[in-house]
Amino acid sequence: MHPLLASRARLGAYLLGWAPIALLLTGIARSQGWSWAEAGALSLPLCLLAALLFLSAWFLCRALPLGRSLEGLSAHGAAWGMAAVLMGGLWAGLAWILARVLAWIPGLGALPQRVGTALPVLTGLGILLYLASVALSYLMLAQDRAVEAERKGAELQLLAQESELKALRAQLNPHFLFNSLNSLSALTAVDPARAREMCVLLSDFLRRSLGLGERRLVALREELELAKAYLAIEQIRFGTRLKVAWTVDPAAEPALLPTLLLQPLVENAIKHGIAALPEGGTLAVTTEVLEGHVVLTVNNPLDADAPTPQGLGIGLRQVRQRLLGRFGSRARLEAGVQDGQHRVTLVFPLEVEP
Amino acid sequence: MKALIIDDEDLARAIVREHLAAHPDVEVAAECANGFEAIKAAAQHQPDLIFLDIQMPKLDGFEVLELLEAEGKRPAVVFVTAYDQHALRAFEAHAVDYLLKPFSKERFDAALAKARALQSAQPLAPPSTAAAELASFARLGKPLERIVVKDGPKVTVVHLDRLDWVQAQDDYVLLRTEGKNLLKQQTLASLETQLDANRFIRIHRSYILNLDRLVRVEQDSKEHRDAILRDGTRLPVSRAGYQRLRELWEGA
Repeated sequence: MHPLLASRARLGAYLLGWAPIALLLTGIARSQGWSWAEAGALSLPLCLLAALLFLSAWFLCRALPLGRSLEGLSAHGAAWGMAAVLMGGLWAGLAWILARVLAWIPGLGALPQRVGTALPVLTGLGILLYLASVALSYLMLAQDRAVEAERKGAELQLLAQESELKALRAQLNPHFLFNSLNSLSALTAVDPARAREMCVLLSDFLRRSLGLGERRLVALREELELAKAYLAIEQIRFGTRLKVAWTVDPAAEPALLPTLLLQPLVENAIKHGIAALPEGGTLAVTTEVLEGHVVLTVNNPLDADAPTPQGLGIGLRQVRQRLLGRFGSRARLEAGVQDGQHRVTLVFPLEVEP
Repeated sequence: MKALIIDDEDLARAIVREHLAAHPDVEVAAECANGFEAIKAAAQHQPDLIFLDIQMPKLDGFEVLELLEAEGKRPAVVFVTAYDQHALRAFEAHAVDYLLKPFSKERFDAALAKARALQSAQPLAPPSTAAAELASFARLGKPLERIVVKDGPKVTVVHLDRLDWVQAQDDYVLLRTEGKNLLKQQTLASLETQLDANRFIRIHRSYILNLDRLVRVEQDSKEHRDAILRDGTRLPVSRAGYQRLRELWEGA
């Protein structure tokens, strides 16, 4: 939809903008010896025609967006020029037809001849007016884009704030906490030594996650330790269903990354992987250093009967956003399913504390 | 009194078992680590009481309940879960009681006492809400992701992206999935309320269609339209159904 046709107020303002042009046209005609009646009768309807006809410039401009560089401008220019000549000619042709029709009115009999001599001038004027419409259309498009960009920016900011909040909340997943306490309650009767071990693990996990929540950046080592504490607790809860395989490259350990990025990956792997499988499986965490980048992967089996997840869930999107928020295009997150295994890979530059 | 303990975690089952040991009149007929085992054990042992976890692999607690209900079995149910209290309030009416993990011996004994009182007041009154509706409450308004169907002794889980269309057949719905037909006792209207209205459209009084399967709508005569699906199937589209499809297209 054309933006000027979208609201009556805008259309009104646009048509009003053509009034001075109609006056100008009348003035020019008068200076060429036309009578007031001839000048007025032709220029008013002709400007109204132009106003409607030249709205089409917007569609042309939308189809030929302006790039940041001057490349392709010559092709655009050719298109504008061609359209302008076409529309200018069309407009002048319409003026000629209009003059023929108006000639039926008494006193305007000389109009066709007068318009005939003025055809080159009208064509030229039409071309200029069309080009002005092109300029106006680009202005409108640019403004629309600015509004859109502003809206997107606000949305992104909101999402970022949400992820921060989510990250803070993730420290204490109540479901995890209550299930762990329930395991602990069971262990006190059947295996008191194990119960004590669980108390220590749970305290260790809570202390670590409380400490991490206050910082923006941590060394990967700390993230790994938090994940280890978490998985040790889940291993008590899930028993033989959960096996964990660690492959850690010591060179990756000091790498800095945004806080609590690994934790949601590991929690997802438990929730959608191990907990959804009656027989459980192996959760693998791997880190390595490749060409100055840390490659961190979390791998877990999936229920073969469940539909494969499409796209990234909210949790993964937030991880990606926080990762890119820190490293920009130097980092990436990939997630996918292969051979019944769900794998998330984070790649980010190896940067250490100075 | 015969009881089943249904929970995917060994330790969670152990604690129920431990508390039950103090009540010699309650016999633990079986322990089940997932929903499929639970359905099998329920058929075998005809329990009076089940302790039921909600989050389990393959079949969750609500689906187990739904399948038992479909077979006309109504054991007393005590939910044992780490779910938060708000979600639980919704199914309070349906279950005898619920235990929030972790729970005390006193709380456990109270739940068991309720179950006993209910059993002596036989026959058990049917619950005010069907298990399927109960489950949709507990999902907090989120649309269904899969449907469970009991087909003789076999339980089939239909994930919704594998469901082509649904046809009403009196008190049953016929589910078309991966070239097979499955029958489930439920009305089309009740199923419709649980499905995601952006993916599943009531195209006709008797049909709900997975929008993903639709290729085009053909108009045969003035008042008669057919939906053509990817596999070539033709399903009738009513005037109201066509209106719903158009609204969806125009909204997109």
